Amino acid sequence: MALTATLPGPRLTVQRQTRSGRIALVLFVVAVIGLAAMPFWAKTGTIRMVLELCCYIAVAQMWNMLAGYAGLVSVGQQAFMGATGYALFVLAQTFGINPFIAIFLSLLVPAVLAVPCYLLLHRLDGPYFAIGTWVVAEVFRLVASNMGWLNAGAGMSLSVMKEYSAFERNLAMSLLCALMILVTIGGSYWFLRSRYGLALIAMRDNPVAAASQGVNVKRLRFMIYVAAAVGCGFVGAVYFMAQLRINPPSAFDPMWSNLAIFIVMVGGIASIEGVLIGTLIYFIADRYFGEYGASYFVVLGVMTVLVALYARGGIWGMVSKRWDAPWFPIRRHLIITKDMP
Amino acid sequence: MQWFDALVQGVLLGGMYAQYALGMALMFGVMKIVNVSHGDLVILLSLVGISLSSSFGLGPFTVMVALVPLALGLGWLLQKAILNKVVGEDPLPSLIATFGLSLALQNLMLQIWSANSRSLPGGGIESKSIQIGGIYIGLLPVIVLVFAVALTWGLDLMLKRSRFGRALRAAAADVEAAAMTGINPRRVYASATAIAVGILGFAAVFQSLRSTVAPADGGAQLIYAFEAVIIGGMGSVWGAFIGSMVLGVTQALGFRIDPGFGVLAGHLVFLLVLATRPQGLFGKA
Amino acid sequence: MSGPILSTHGLIARYGDFQALYGIDFEIAAGEAVALIGANGAGKSTFLRAVMGLLPVAPDMVRMEGSNIGGTATDRMVQMGVAIVPEGRRLFAGMSVEDNLRVAIDQAERLGRKGGWSLPRLHDLFPILKEKARTPVQSLSGGQQQMVSIGRALLCQPRLLLCDEISLGLAPKVIREIYAALPEVRAQGTSVILVEQDVGLAKQASDRLYCLLEGRVTLTGRSIEVTRDAISQAYFGGSHAVV
Repeated sequence: MALTATLPGPRLTVQRQTRSGRIALVLFVVAVIGLAAMPFWAKTGTIRMVLELCCYIAVAQMWNMLAGYAGLVSVGQQAFMGATGYALFVLAQTFGINPFIAIFLSLLVPAVLAVPCYLLLHRLDGPYFAIGTWVVAEVFRLVASNMGWLNAGAGMSLSVMKEYSAFERNLAMSLLCALMILVTIGGSYWFLRSRYGLALIAMRDNPVAAASQGVNVKRLRFMIYVAAAVGCGFVGAVYFMAQLRINPPSAFDPMWSNLAIFIVMVGGIASIEGVLIGTLIYFIADRYFGEYGASYFVVLGVMTVLVALYARGGIWGMVSKRWDAPWFPIRRHLIITKDMP
Repeated sequence: MQWFDALVQGVLLGGMYAQYALGMALMFGVMKIVNVSHGDLVILLSLVGISLSSSFGLGPFTVMVALVPLALGLGWLLQKAILNKVVGEDPLPSLIATFGLSLALQNLMLQIWSANSRSLPGGGIESKSIQIGGIYIGLLPVIVLVFAVALTWGLDLMLKRSRFGRALRAAAADVEAAAMTGINPRRVYASATAIAVGILGFAAVFQSLRSTVAPADGGAQLIYAFEAVIIGGMGSVWGAFIGSMVLGVTQALGFRIDPGFGVLAGHLVFLLVLATRPQGLFGKA
Repeated sequence: MSGPILSTHGLIARYGDFQALYGIDFEIAAGEAVALIGANGAGKSTFLRAVMGLLPVAPDMVRMEGSNIGGTATDRMVQMGVAIVPEGRRLFAGMSVEDNLRVAIDQAERLGRKGGWSLPRLHDLFPILKEKARTPVQSLSGGQQQMVSIGRALLCQPRLLLCDEISLGLAPKVIREIYAALPEVRAQGTSVILVEQDVGLAKQASDRLYCLLEGRVTLTGRSIEVTRDAISQAYFGGSHAVV
């Protein structure tokens, strides 16, 4: 994937891919295919577990795009997860639209809601922005709890799914899972490697300088906010479709923000590798120590504090300091070859 | 009359919120930091107060005398151990650090005190009330409001008149220039956080007298403090006070319309202020 | 005059990857006024910032009366008797003239610094500051703001005063007014380091001068002895002078 620029003088080659990157890309494609083919190799229980894992990865990556690249620290992405989940339930259950079409239609909801939210919230200064996003999520939750046609506090069930066989449901969930990872991880990777990505990295390193170089910081932030809302919305729809039930406290659970922050910060902010590492740690810790409940969360909290104090780059930050072998390389290396034919 | 009653109750409720909001306004004004564990600290102090009260049979005001110095110390420690390391241009580290702290504190409290709601026995003052022109006014909410006014007034006076207040304002305006005049920023920051958390010592006693507290309640207190500060306008303690009144009144009125609408009404007014007057009601444009 | 009150030895300073100073040797005696001249970006302000503890430097690169003090925190430098009138004045916006000055008085008290400066004496030096005592600093003119900034530094009771381009952007009349205060400051026994763009002004107000070019000292000497030619040579560098 080398881009060659034919210029007079020494030959300039822009290298954008590395060996580790190519290997990772192949593994990624294999993983996505593997996800799509789950019904043929996994049991229903495994599929459910993998689905949950994929949801964590996707939500964390969306938060990573916001906080790691756009400088928008949100603790309220659950607003869009819940809103999209509800949209799916209303479309499929109340209006009788095929749930697998409804899931895509429901994505319009976070896209539309994100616009006014951003217009309001971007007026808040850095740390206040974060709390503002939380208020928005609370508003969504309270509105849902008060709306009769969402069945208020009692919540809704997706009983239309009963019309499908277990295999059909498993197949659908697997395909959605694969698509979710493809869109959130693959999409982020593509975006970061595009010219927007360059601008984004410039913006992360120095917003003022980036703006002076012609990067439209405001528009880029807005775009990422909306994209992350839709991404989280997609996760919400898939997650609650699998759950078959939704109610306000679960739909707008701040746990999703806790989880995303922990995964990204411990794994390593501003890198896709970090998200994968962080998710793995969280997932394993959750399986093994989840039964300890509160004390387990105390440890997670303390770990987050320690990362913020002493290791801002998280685990991947420490790894990449030692070995320069990115799985998802987004930098461009300029290679100058002296000999010109 | 029903609406006037709601208005009065709202103002009294605002007195409670002001006690959370003052510290947040102070910390943001000086360090541009939002302490996500602000609400959890109120709950922690409340639970400590309740335990003190039940173990040693202390009355609420004796608990307050013990709790405020403890809160001051806690704030000072918070700054020294955590916030001094994350204060700076980038808001992310301080948010993440205090977010992690919030998660740890909440769950630690859950382990120590369980998820049950508790309250501080007030020896009768919590149920006393006075009747003025057909409206019953609780004695305790009036005391809370009086304390809120006194705290706001005292904080404002300290900022304007004292040596420490001047140093604080100087550090808030330009921290490097402050150091050039001999101010030790970290010391000033530590004192500011100590005061901010110290005020929560008062808030904790009143919160646990007025209603109940449980380990998971901190988030709501954080949000109310935050809304009050934004509604009132950043950078002034009286702004935070007025913002608290507006929030309290809105919630009380909303609650009269529909019990499920009270908190939501507060959020909506916050969003309305954000849409129409982002600098806050009393902030400079 | 005895040994230097402050000296630097091979002082190196950098902003991130960018090295701004390449080994500066400098000294100033008690009661002396030394000017630092040089083009924009020569490293004059960086030098002051490095001395003042606003940039990380190695301990042995700055010495004050024999002890290594490089990299000491800025507020500790003030405690040791070094004050700065910073580039761009850096007043505390939103506070009145008097409160700006009071901050320095408060801290001098706290740090136990004693000296000859007081609010009344400052008012004698710059009478306008008395008149404007209650005015918020942001509504003052540039010259008045500069007076507050100088006053704030003096009220730290310094033995060594660092002045960073105090004439910048001011009218000639105001510049004269501000520079007229210098003898009064020096009469106090205070040493002064002047960073100045205006070479004539710098020569006039100082005993010795250093010329910086691209982070290095290119000329040093007694101000009255240094010729214009030597200065312009040092100012623009040898190769530039030929071109």
